[in-house]
Amino acid sequence: MASFKKTQIRSLPKIGQKVTADTLYWRKLNFPVTVKEFGPIDYIDVMPIEPYFIAVSSAAKVQIYNPITHQVHRHFTRFKEAAYGASIRSDGKLVIAGCDEGHVKLFDIGSKSLLRIFKGHKGPVHRCKFTTDNVHVVSFSDDKSVALWDLPSETEIIKFSEHSDYVRAGCVSSISSDLFLSGSFDHTVKLYDARSPTGSTISVDHGSPVESVLMYPSNSIFVSVGGTELRVWDMLAGGRLLARVSQHHKTITCLHLASDGKRLVTGGLDRHAKIYDVQSYQVVHTLDFPSPVLSLGITPDDFTVVAGMANGLISMQHRQTQAEARALNPKQSLKVQKKSQTAYRFRLNADFRSVNRTFNPATDVEVATKTDTNFVSRYDMFLRKFQYSKALDTVLTPYIRKKKPAITVGVMHELIRRNGLKSALAGRDDSSLSSILTFLARNINDPSHANIIIQVANTLLEIYESSSLTPQSEKLFLQLQEHVNREVEYVKHLMEIEGMLHILLASTTTQARRSSTYVVQGSPVKPMLPSAAAAANATMIFNVG
Amino acid sequence: MVKMANKKTRGPDKTQANTSDIVVKKLDDATDIVRQPPVFTNDSKYICIASGRQIGIYSVESAEKVHSLEEHTFDVIGLAIKDDNILLSCDASGETIEWNINNGTTLKKAPLVVAGIKEFHSFHYPGNGKVLVATPSTYTTNMSSLWIVDSHTRPRKLFADIKSTPHSIAFGCNQGNGSLVVVALQDHSVVVKDITNGVDKKHMTDQRKFTCVALHSEKLIMATGDISGRILIWHDFVHKSRPVKTVYHWHTLPVNSVCFSSEGEYLYSGGSEKVMVKWRLGMSRKQFLPRMGSSIKYIVNAPDNICVATSHSDNAIRFIDSTNKINRAIIGLVKHDPIRGFADTEPIKESVMPTGLVFDPRSHGIFFNAQAGFLQLFDPQKNSLIFNMDVANRNVLTDERNLVIGNAEVLRVAVSPTGEWLATLEVWSNMSAGYHDMNLKFWRYDAVQANYELNTDVTMPHQDRVTALCFQPGLLGTEMPCLVSIGRDLKFKIWRLVDDTDIYRQKESWSCDVAGDFRKLTPSALSFSEDGSLMAIAFQDTVTLWDPTSINLNTTLSHTLVQEPIELMEFGRDNCFRYLVCASKSALYAWDVISQGLVWKVGQLHSSVRCLVPDPKSCYMAAVLQNSEVFVFSPSSSKPVHSVPKMNSSEPIAALFVPRPNPLASGPEWLINSRLLIVDDQQEFLCVDDVSSAGFNQKLTTPISHMDSLPWTPFSAMKAEKQISAAKQLVPVVHQTSGIQGYKSVQSLLETSASALPPMSRICSLFMSDLMIKHGPKAVTAKVNSVDRTSTDLPLSNGHIDSKTQDFSEETTLQKLLTLDCQWLVETVK
Repeated sequence: MASFKKTQIRSLPKIGQKVTADTLYWRKLNFPVTVKEFGPIDYIDVMPIEPYFIAVSSAAKVQIYNPITHQVHRHFTRFKEAAYGASIRSDGKLVIAGCDEGHVKLFDIGSKSLLRIFKGHKGPVHRCKFTTDNVHVVSFSDDKSVALWDLPSETEIIKFSEHSDYVRAGCVSSISSDLFLSGSFDHTVKLYDARSPTGSTISVDHGSPVESVLMYPSNSIFVSVGGTELRVWDMLAGGRLLARVSQHHKTITCLHLASDGKRLVTGGLDRHAKIYDVQSYQVVHTLDFPSPVLSLGITPDDFTVVAGMANGLISMQHRQTQAEARALNPKQSLKVQKKSQTAYRFRLNADFRSVNRTFNPATDVEVATKTDTNFVSRYDMFLRKFQYSKALDTVLTPYIRKKKPAITVGVMHELIRRNGLKSALAGRDDSSLSSILTFLARNINDPSHANIIIQVANTLLEIYESSSLTPQSEKLFLQLQEHVNREVEYVKHLMEIEGMLHILLASTTTQARRSSTYVVQGSPVKPMLPSAAAAANATMIFNVG
Repeated sequence: MVKMANKKTRGPDKTQANTSDIVVKKLDDATDIVRQPPVFTNDSKYICIASGRQIGIYSVESAEKVHSLEEHTFDVIGLAIKDDNILLSCDASGETIEWNINNGTTLKKAPLVVAGIKEFHSFHYPGNGKVLVATPSTYTTNMSSLWIVDSHTRPRKLFADIKSTPHSIAFGCNQGNGSLVVVALQDHSVVVKDITNGVDKKHMTDQRKFTCVALHSEKLIMATGDISGRILIWHDFVHKSRPVKTVYHWHTLPVNSVCFSSEGEYLYSGGSEKVMVKWRLGMSRKQFLPRMGSSIKYIVNAPDNICVATSHSDNAIRFIDSTNKINRAIIGLVKHDPIRGFADTEPIKESVMPTGLVFDPRSHGIFFNAQAGFLQLFDPQKNSLIFNMDVANRNVLTDERNLVIGNAEVLRVAVSPTGEWLATLEVWSNMSAGYHDMNLKFWRYDAVQANYELNTDVTMPHQDRVTALCFQPGLLGTEMPCLVSIGRDLKFKIWRLVDDTDIYRQKESWSCDVAGDFRKLTPSALSFSEDGSLMAIAFQDTVTLWDPTSINLNTTLSHTLVQEPIELMEFGRDNCFRYLVCASKSALYAWDVISQGLVWKVGQLHSSVRCLVPDPKSCYMAAVLQNSEVFVFSPSSSKPVHSVPKMNSSEPIAALFVPRPNPLASGPEWLINSRLLIVDDQQEFLCVDDVSSAGFNQKLTTPISHMDSLPWTPFSAMKAEKQISAAKQLVPVVHQTSGIQGYKSVQSLLETSASALPPMSRICSLFMSDLMIKHGPKAVTAKVNSVDRTSTDLPLSNGHIDSKTQDFSEETTLQKLLTLDCQWLVETVK
């Protein structure tokens, strides 16, 4: 009751991109380090354990980059033609890659030696993966087949040839070593179980050539991309379509999970990477790249984002560390530091100290609640003292006037309410009058402030109508008049358009009414009858009573 | 009304008999506590406050009521402390009562005898058995004469034609010779009388009218406040004809009250600026306590100087401690100050209580206006204020000397059917500037915090004054709630709750869904049918019926018989759901919504209908006329069930049916579940109720023990502990269960755990018989006899025939019950 209530500043929400937790998080990526390769980057795979080496397959080689130094750690060039889909085993020791001649080659990262060659595909192999048990390899080939290989014996265990077009996408389950998924240019995504050699267990139609597939870590949902669409399928429900998201305007090429599986990232030929929330499939942020994105890699800690592009560029972006942030913006970090300093939160009860009795921690220690330092702005201070002219002066400083016009309008509003506008505006010299006039001219067109600004302008005209003005202020008054005239003209145009629209709408509604048919109400839904078993059960219960 | 009266005489006699014991009562507890200045007891532990006919004794420490003294039959006009714990009070008829403050008992009653005068204005007690009373002046109205009454001499007239406010009389002792000095104010002068020495003085200043006066307790110093805000301190005013004066001028508005501290070092003053000023006498230093919420009426200082009590016009008494901070308050029901500048253009209701009475289904309280920009929730069952809510959240602005400055006022309130949402419309308007602000605010009740949270604030919901707000009833929480507003900008708008949730937050807000108009006519009234499926908006004389979900115009209703603009409109409730009752300036009529015809019309009313309120618990409706006649009727017919003749000269403002917590045992149907509350233009609450139903009389009977006035020693601390525990057992909660059939058996069934219950077939009959209405004992025995005779061939006891032979006595009792229960069944089967 006794406290002064602050002046209400009415600020309308800004239209445009909202600053959310996600935008802040993804904005913290540093300027990218780019490396140029000799051909489009086909595939990027990230080692799942530290030091998160990145395997990049492009043209006829597979390179393993160190994500910190951006240097090539290893490179494998024993391919006659293009190498595709190099993938690192979960222990980080082996790398596997497919190639144009239809072989799948296994290398040791440590010694760079070629350990195995899996021969048997008749077309190029674009994707190959280690299964979860680390001793099998799945390969997805352009000969429309998917094959499972045994690593030690270098033999083919099973081969599925169900697709009718190139198989360019595939992934393995992270839980079971027997489950893997393939996506093909024949628009289908198929789930295979190595224990049932007869064929695929689930087959769904994506609607366009499938570019990439991904299975969630829980293994209950898988995602496929292709065309401009992302589709989410329920695996447990036998391939029910859960969601269709179309946020890219060109083909989506790659798919990755980020932020511990809470975000999904897709890259596309439209040079964007979109980050989705995996619950709602709403886009929370967009990353931009200079060229069509073909492949994406994100380290498990979200520290590095690697994108491979069609023109052979690899862009590697690091997350800003705290030290870097501090170096960039020393002022802000100081503020944060100050805040984090803890004050004394506990104090002893005075009663306890004065009287000699035993200490009871439950009642004698008071937890100090955080006291809000009641910040009173300068204009409120003057309003509180009924110094209206000074209050108006403080909000007519160039910074507030230009950057935060809502504050100026709020104070003017309060002055109108207090009936103090006249005294605040009267008796001003040239310079202060000009600041008011420029403010009015600039904001009189703003519909959210217009009613108050018009009120202020009227009062101002009333006061200075008869007084002699300097040429400078006279010019400003004329400028204000010009603004008003322009606004009037503009509103006139708008009303004309509104009138036209009304005619159009009226004609359509009359037509609609003529041709309208009343919706016949459906027959009342029959009450559900209990089944025979349920009925039997019900009578049983009855008998017990 | 001629018709109505005729019909009443022709009506059945039964209703006449019933209505004879329906009375109109005044709700006394709702009266204000700031009409008279409060009085501190000598030990400064209690404060005595007069409110209407009652006197409340409150503890200063806790601001809780300790005693309620109710013996006076007229309004109390003055309080005084006679001895250490004797309170002297006087009412307007001149009856004085002495009370024991510690236990609230009456000690002595005596009438004041002053020259046959029956009416008194104010009462003061200077001590030594002498009493000062002000009586109406014989010649000039609104003025008083002051008399001194002594026990052994005849009453003596001291002054004639003095101001009649309690603050225009002061008395003190001349310490020099122990004489009694009395001062009183006239418009432009101060009259002084030294009673013992017989000195008379009259001091005049200039043309500024005096407003209040106070005397120093020890020295001969007088302080007067005047209409310009100036305070004058007069020195030695008894003997000198031109006394020395000191001017203290800070206030811009009239000074309402001045008060010396008991030591005489300080002077407190207050007025409509809502600031209490503490002057140090003889120095230029002053302290302020600003923003006290409402203008100060009286300032009273405690004898021990520890605190000061201020009475405010918002019906609150606040205690200010020695550090100049408000630390406690006694808050009563707030009277809304009529909105200035409204009275000439709008009906009186719009300025006195624009929100009317709005029932809150959640707390069973009533929302209505408090001070400007505030809303209060009043509990009619307990006659107490639940809370006072700041709707505008603006600094309350005070007038300047020549300038009226308005504050934001709450004009309309609506509560959603579940009580979860509260919609308020606040308006600030300045007639001279031609500028107005309007805010429609939606508040959501937060059950955890137990307060309302602002959800949406809409600026300028309509371009002109909003006439009515109404939530759609009948929604069961499955649909988004919906609010309809109509305004003088010829539009009606439908506001809906919109889900604005995204992955980061849960958010709902209100937004305008539809804005519509009808033939460019002004909408004047709005009503929803009870189930919320039909919305009726009156446009002048035409009623339009809309489907609230699709906003399709279903029908328009108009008739040549009824061509006046509709002012009030309500749908019937319960089995009268199909009737829509409309009131215009001189007629009351009902439409049948289903057959779309005019059902009845009562024309040529004595005066226009002020309120039309449906009873939520029955099908009846009450029409309150401007001349304070009340008619209760069923919307299906024009015959009133009950009518209340003119009550008094006051004009009703708003009315509401308030549900009762427990239904009446007997009475007319419309009174069983609810009673009718009416507010008049003085903001007094009147209640149309059955004579038998007593109000919620909660007597505070705990006596203050003499230990309270003991010093704080370890022994007294032990004693005091007991006292506190005794005070706690105050409100006994008694559920009325005796009248409910079979309450005990239901209770036992519910309390026994399911696993421990005997088989349902065993207890079913017993349970059912408990629920049945018992016949007289004779009838039962007769039936039992007959059963006994025929029991052998009764097929009812199918499973029990075998056991019958073994345990016959138990069986017969069971049989009795069984046959008792199932007779109705046997009959129906046959």
